[in-house]
Amino acid sequence: MAQAGKGKLNYRCPACFKRDLDIDMFYDKDKKQYYCMRCQFFGTEEEVLAENETVRTKYKDYLKRFTSFEDFD
Amino acid sequence: MDKFVVNIIHRPEMVPEYSATVTGHGKEEDIGDKALLTESLDIFKTQQECAHKNGLKTTIQMTYASLFNEEAVSLAKEHHEKYGDEIALTLLGLPCEQFREKYKTKDFCIWMFSMDDKMAIVDDVFGKFHDIFGFYPESTGSYYMDAELTNYIKEKYPSVKCAVATCWEEGPKAYHTCNNSWYTFMDGGPWAPWIPSKQNTHAPAANAAEDSGIVAIPHLSRDLIACYDGNGSNFGTHPQNVLRGMIYDSKTWEFPYLFNLIDQYRYLAKFNNGYAYNMMFVGPGWMNKMGRWEAPYELLLKSYEEGCAYYGKLKKEGVLEDMTMSEFADYYREKKGVTAGNYNEPECALWRDILYGSQKQLFWYADPYMRACVNMDQGGAIVDLRPYVAKLNWPVGIGTKHIQDASYPFLIQEKYRAGYFTHYAGEGTVRSAKICHNGEEVDLCLCRTKAHFSQEGKSRILTLDPVDIEFADCTVTIQTVITFEEGSSDIKIDRKILSMSDPNADITINEYMVGCYGTTEYTEDMSSLTLKLEGSEPKIIPYEYKCREASLENADLASCVLPPIETKVSMCCEGRDKVGYIKEGYAFSPMFTIGYTGSLKDKEVFTTWLKLEKAN
Repeated sequence: MAQAGKGKLNYRCPACFKRDLDIDMFYDKDKKQYYCMRCQFFGTEEEVLAENETVRTKYKDYLKRFTSFEDFD
Repeated sequence: MDKFVVNIIHRPEMVPEYSATVTGHGKEEDIGDKALLTESLDIFKTQQECAHKNGLKTTIQMTYASLFNEEAVSLAKEHHEKYGDEIALTLLGLPCEQFREKYKTKDFCIWMFSMDDKMAIVDDVFGKFHDIFGFYPESTGSYYMDAELTNYIKEKYPSVKCAVATCWEEGPKAYHTCNNSWYTFMDGGPWAPWIPSKQNTHAPAANAAEDSGIVAIPHLSRDLIACYDGNGSNFGTHPQNVLRGMIYDSKTWEFPYLFNLIDQYRYLAKFNNGYAYNMMFVGPGWMNKMGRWEAPYELLLKSYEEGCAYYGKLKKEGVLEDMTMSEFADYYREKKGVTAGNYNEPECALWRDILYGSQKQLFWYADPYMRACVNMDQGGAIVDLRPYVAKLNWPVGIGTKHIQDASYPFLIQEKYRAGYFTHYAGEGTVRSAKICHNGEEVDLCLCRTKAHFSQEGKSRILTLDPVDIEFADCTVTIQTVITFEEGSSDIKIDRKILSMSDPNADITINEYMVGCYGTTEYTEDMSSLTLKLEGSEPKIIPYEYKCREASLENADLASCVLPPIETKVSMCCEGRDKVGYIKEGYAFSPMFTIGYTGSLKDKEVFTTWLKLEKAN
């Protein structure tokens, strides 16, 4: 088995990102798989991208444009 | 009319952070890689173009490495002539072949070098700058500028009047985010420009004698909720940091959060006599052609172009003024009243969550005597407190006691030393109050509310919306008003009962502060602390982790002296049946508590003052 490298983009581990850790993943070309050295996460590019979408669920207002900073519900 | 100022800063960094180590993965290190140098300069040109085409001037902070590059020097001169950009000098970007050869080290953070090396490097870099441009710079900076470094620069190169001097709340949280490999421990400073004291960079000068002679600006303008809670490098006026936080729509590549952040900073003019500030400073490593993490180059570029376009739009609308750093230093001293001799005007920020949808609201206050954070989601509890009044002498770098740790110590820090909530036993650091009736006790930390800001003379007043305390047989409506008196180093807190369902009910109040000291999550030795009650029969508890308590009716003062941070914190009180108390703490709960209990009836007010003093 050959050594791992970086993928076409420098994906971070989505599981670690959710606990405020920026950890670059490495790419296993034989398994077509990104994997994390810090935790047990691994996945294909599609799985990584899907997990990245779940990262955004904590940002409930990330697509909202505020016009006032004084109005609360 | 309100004035919103922006400083846009670019640095031609010949070996950008990350480029050599991250995107160059799989290659042997080559700090003189010609392709890397060419790309770095191209990024700098792109950044300059983004600003200029939107009518914005920049401050070009030349790096040491760029002083050896004729094209970088020539571009700086050309843009100074053509666009009015300031040619300045940064102490970031030291790594290059020449530096490595000369100093025989891979260290690159100026504040971490020994004092001898700091002086040698400063002389080297400033001298080289002078050789090339024929003058000394008026602006400089790094991620952090320790007081000794700033004092040396100001003495030797008095033309310097502005410096990037800290990254707000970039301490243990940033370290953890980088898998414990990013040694920028610099929590506890102001989030907006200030005049550093000669004694400690974080602590603003209280008078001309303490004035370091420079105006400090923070590295980026950061989200005052998101950065306090999480990784500072995701939530600032740095478009690619916003991408780093994945705060964009992955399909449309829209990122309204960046513009909300800029707009909320504009809104802060309301609390600061019509002045607000932003700083954008993106290192070239963030616009790497190889992309940065999940973001391809096209998205990195789009974010920077749109960031500049938004500032440009605000300028065209007449609501923003772009300044160079040195221009800003002059403006700031005049606007804040420093030129006229007043160093005490505070910086205030009533800040709301603009990202998570929580509607949480914090109030940040900083002056030469303290930095405090009030959390409206916890009933107006003080959740962070830094005693600037101590003006701690805290040298950093090799050869000192604090090689990397440049943070200003806290007395209260709810994230590092718990807050209201703790596991199993003990208490966390917080300044709050408990309302008691018939054996029931409710902490105001559990009363979520909002605040309104007002200014009366020298007082900044935070008036919180009233909250209801529901006991089994009585409901009490209480309002909290917090007053910061300019130049006093006191925080006054009034608790007033507005109404009671049973006007005859016995209500008692327990005003308290749980504190400790430190700069990280881990406890420090508390053995040198002394707790004291002053009044008719003074009582003293030297801290020995013995869980002792003492109280004194009608006490004049409850206090704690903390020699390691040369600080005395005390509480005094005006209220019915007041009893001062002190609590020692124990090994599993290495905290101290000072407070007052008393009684409250309908329409009555219970007032306390938390005071900070330097204790030698």
